[in-house]
Amino acid sequence: MRAHLLALGAIVVVGAVAAFGLHSQVTLELLFTFLLYAVLGQSWNWISGYAGNVSFGHAIFFACGAYAAAMLVAAGFSPWLAFPAGALVAGLLAVITGFPTLALRGHYFSIATIAVAALVDAFVRTTPWFNGANGFEEPIRNGWGAMQFAQKTNYVLIALVLFAFVQLATIVLERSRLGYYLRALRANHAAAAAVGIDERRWKLIAFAWSAVMASAAGVLYAQDTLFVDPPSVLGLSVSIDIALIGVVGGIGTVWGPAVGALIYVALAKGVALQLGGTGKGYDLVIYGALICVIAALRPRGIVGSLVDASRRRRGARIANDGAAPVAERAA
Amino acid sequence: MSALLEVRGLAKTFGSVRALDGVDLTVEEGRLTGLIGPNGAGKSTAFGCIAGAMKPSAGSVRFRGREIAGMPYYRVATLGIGRTYQIVQTFADMTVLEAVTTGALLRHPRLPDAIAHADEVLAFVGLAEKRHRLGSALTIADKKRLEVARALATEPTLLLLDEVMAGLTPAECRDAVALLRQVLTRGITVLMVEHVMEVLMPIAEHVVVIAAGKTIFSGNAHAAVRDQAVIDAYLGSPIEHGEIAEGAR
Repeated sequence: MRAHLLALGAIVVVGAVAAFGLHSQVTLELLFTFLLYAVLGQSWNWISGYAGNVSFGHAIFFACGAYAAAMLVAAGFSPWLAFPAGALVAGLLAVITGFPTLALRGHYFSIATIAVAALVDAFVRTTPWFNGANGFEEPIRNGWGAMQFAQKTNYVLIALVLFAFVQLATIVLERSRLGYYLRALRANHAAAAAVGIDERRWKLIAFAWSAVMASAAGVLYAQDTLFVDPPSVLGLSVSIDIALIGVVGGIGTVWGPAVGALIYVALAKGVALQLGGTGKGYDLVIYGALICVIAALRPRGIVGSLVDASRRRRGARIANDGAAPVAERAA
Repeated sequence: MSALLEVRGLAKTFGSVRALDGVDLTVEEGRLTGLIGPNGAGKSTAFGCIAGAMKPSAGSVRFRGREIAGMPYYRVATLGIGRTYQIVQTFADMTVLEAVTTGALLRHPRLPDAIAHADEVLAFVGLAEKRHRLGSALTIADKKRLEVARALATEPTLLLLDEVMAGLTPAECRDAVALLRQVLTRGITVLMVEHVMEVLMPIAEHVVVIAAGKTIFSGNAHAAVRDQAVIDAYLGSPIEHGEIAEGAR
């Protein structure tokens, strides 16, 4: 736990220094995108990594925040209100859709999330209240009140705070009843029930928190791009990007989503900057190939494999030493 | 002494198969009760219905006077019934300590309290030295021990053990029996499903024998092995000499 907190502290300091020190808007945009995707990946990781219910519809929660921001601004309110408003809608949506689906086994939950996402997408596209397929364009303003900035620095700072908050929540999750219960449910739902774990209750809590995190990222996204429409925040490709970040980095680990986001930004966006303009899509080829390699060789993702290896070593070492000191505590 | 668990007329059908067809059993508080029967008698089905993993088709299961038949599985554990599985069900990617802590969290919601309690239970069952090993990396005997520890960590009043001795060497069996005796001295009531009668004989004060989904005997373990219905269920009914003679020819 200490190691996690130290790592988080170091990242926040480095991130803040970079936000103020870097002047390249392109680099700051990449940093911002990285933080945003790390938050989205972590959001996905709560329900799909720790709890083991793989969601392919996470974009709908991201969209809750993005639409909340755009619609509140259009109605003359502060976009800051979108954090609680988006969280409320996303949390409710998670509870309503999770109640009948979270106890589904295997791939059926994933299929249900795709179906729900398609439904929400269709609903938003055809509802005038959401401006249908046109979406919302935010008027250009400036300053903290409007959560709009000419320079990227402040966006990076807000994203950094959000990232720190989400990482901290996950570190706490790992050392909490909820975290243990989710892992137990993922490993063996019958054995989990036998020790008194109510699957639906604990997974609903995780799903709601997951949705709230994704929604917060959506608010920030809307304020950065100033444009929200169904394909950009509700499309299946958005959901898949979020899931891939979680899978590549490592499911059910504190740092997996951040590593996944780093790889995603470095490859998908970084390579796109170099090669994307050629129109040949090399960036997507490289990213796609990488995902295939990880899926084939390291199903638990990069960080997941490292964690497994260290646990095996630790177990073996203690076995060789014979008796472990009784006072020793799990890290 | 009073009945902690009372099962009456328990029935379970799977399609047209009647797996249970009127099982009655009573588990007295503070004792070890054995549930035995030949292969396919319905022991595991009866066990599943009592533990809440299966919904009985008919009959009642009363725990401390309260009807629990058909209750959600997880609720049964919260009422104070712990169980193990015949085929061990580990939390694969958890260490021994983490798995037992998961059980302890039922009565100790704060993690440090749960870990402290899990440590006590691990010391009690003799797994303290292996606390940081992955549950999936243990031997069969230790995995079964881990299942008992995980169930004990929920602080049950009644512990249901499903063939904990199956697959153990004679030495491991002796260790397991010693552990069971310790569990009993803690005042925990045990209902134990066993296929092998010899395992139960020295420790069970009371046995219930089921065959073909029905209770055929209930009483003292030593009386059970002399009971004609029990002998018939295990060995088959006596047949005429003529039949054997014909079979031999």
